Amino acid sequence: MSHEQSIARYRNVYAKLVRLHSKPFYERFGEGMEQTFSDLLQERAEKEGGLFSFVLWIFVETSAGIIREKFTLLTKQNKNFIRIALATAFLLLVPLIAMQVTDEVRWSPFDFVVAAALLFGTGLTYELVARRMGSIAYRAAVGVAVAAALLLVWINLAVGIIGDEGNPANLMYIGVLAVGIIGAVIARLQPQGMARALLATALAQMLVAMIAKAAGMESMFILNGCFAALWVGSALLFRRASVTGAK
Amino acid sequence: MATDRIHPPLTPAVLHILLALSTKERHGYGIMKQVEADSQGKVNMGPGTLYGSLSRMIEAGFIRESDKKTDPEMDDERRVYYRITGLGQKALAAELQRYREVVAVARRKTLSWNTYSYVP
Repeated sequence: MSHEQSIARYRNVYAKLVRLHSKPFYERFGEGMEQTFSDLLQERAEKEGGLFSFVLWIFVETSAGIIREKFTLLTKQNKNFIRIALATAFLLLVPLIAMQVTDEVRWSPFDFVVAAALLFGTGLTYELVARRMGSIAYRAAVGVAVAAALLLVWINLAVGIIGDEGNPANLMYIGVLAVGIIGAVIARLQPQGMARALLATALAQMLVAMIAKAAGMESMFILNGCFAALWVGSALLFRRASVTGAK
Repeated sequence: MATDRIHPPLTPAVLHILLALSTKERHGYGIMKQVEADSQGKVNMGPGTLYGSLSRMIEAGFIRESDKKTDPEMDDERRVYYRITGLGQKALAAELQRYREVVAVARRKTLSWNTYSYVP
C-alpha cells in the first residue's frame, strides 16, 4: 500500500476519533486537528517512512486529550449539581431545626423527601434551561417561572389553594403547569415562544380561579392573581430577551 | 507574589505555545513545528495536547483565532491561524520573569550547572 493510501486511511480513522470530542470543541477544532494530523503524517512519510508506531502514538495522545476534555466538562457540570444539592440541603435544614424548637412544625420523612425532590428538581430545571442562553433577561425569566411553579406545587401540597389540600379541585393546577410545560416544549425554549407559553399559563391560572368561583368554591382570587402576575412577569422578561436577541 | 495572583504559573504546553506565537501568528501545525524548534526537539506535542491547550488558552483570553488563510509554504487548504493577545503577552512576560527569578536564586546558591549539585 502506498503512503498516500495509508495516510488517507489513517486520516479517516483519525477523523472518527476526533468526533468523540464534545460538539462545540469538534466544531471549533475538529478540522484543524485532522489537517494537522495529515501534515504530521505527510512530513513523517517524507522523512522516515514508517508510519504505524507514529500513528499509534498520535491516537493514544489524542484519546488522552478527549478523556481530559470530557472529564473537565463533567467536573464543570457536577459543580453545578453539587451547588444545587447543597442549597437543597441548606433549605431543608430550616424545617429540621424548626422541628427541634417548636411543635408547630411537624414534617414526616416523606415530607422531607418530597420537599427535597421539589427543590432539587427546581434548581436542576433552572440550571438546564437557563444555561442554554447567556442573556440576563432570559435567565431571570426562567428563574421567575420555575419559582412560581415551585410555589404553586408547594402551596397546593401544603394547604391547597381551593379549599384545603385534600380538595380534588386543586388538581386543576396540574393543568396550569401542563400548559406551561407543553408551551415550553412547543417553543423549544426559544424566548419569543416562551413568552407566549407563559401568557397562556397566566390565562390558565385565572381560568382555574374562575371555574372554582363558578362552581361555588372558595378559590382565593388574590393568590391566583399573584401567580398570574408572576407568569406574566416571566413572559415579559422572555419577551425582553427575544427583543435583545438572546440566542 | 502579586504577579502570581494576577498571572498564575503556566503549564509547559501553554508556555511553549505562547512563545511560538510571540513572534507571529501561526496555524496548528506551524505552532507544533515552532515548539519543536524552540525546544530543540525536546518537546513533541501531539494534536490532542495542542488543541486542548489552544481551547483553554482561548477561554482564558491568552490567544484568539485570526483569519482563515492559506499558508504559502504548504500550498493547500485554508487554515485557522492563532495570535497572542495582550493578556497572553502579559502572562508570558510574568512566566518568563518567574523563570528569571528562579535562575537568580540558583545563581545566588552557586549551583553548578554541569553537575546540578551545590558547590559548598
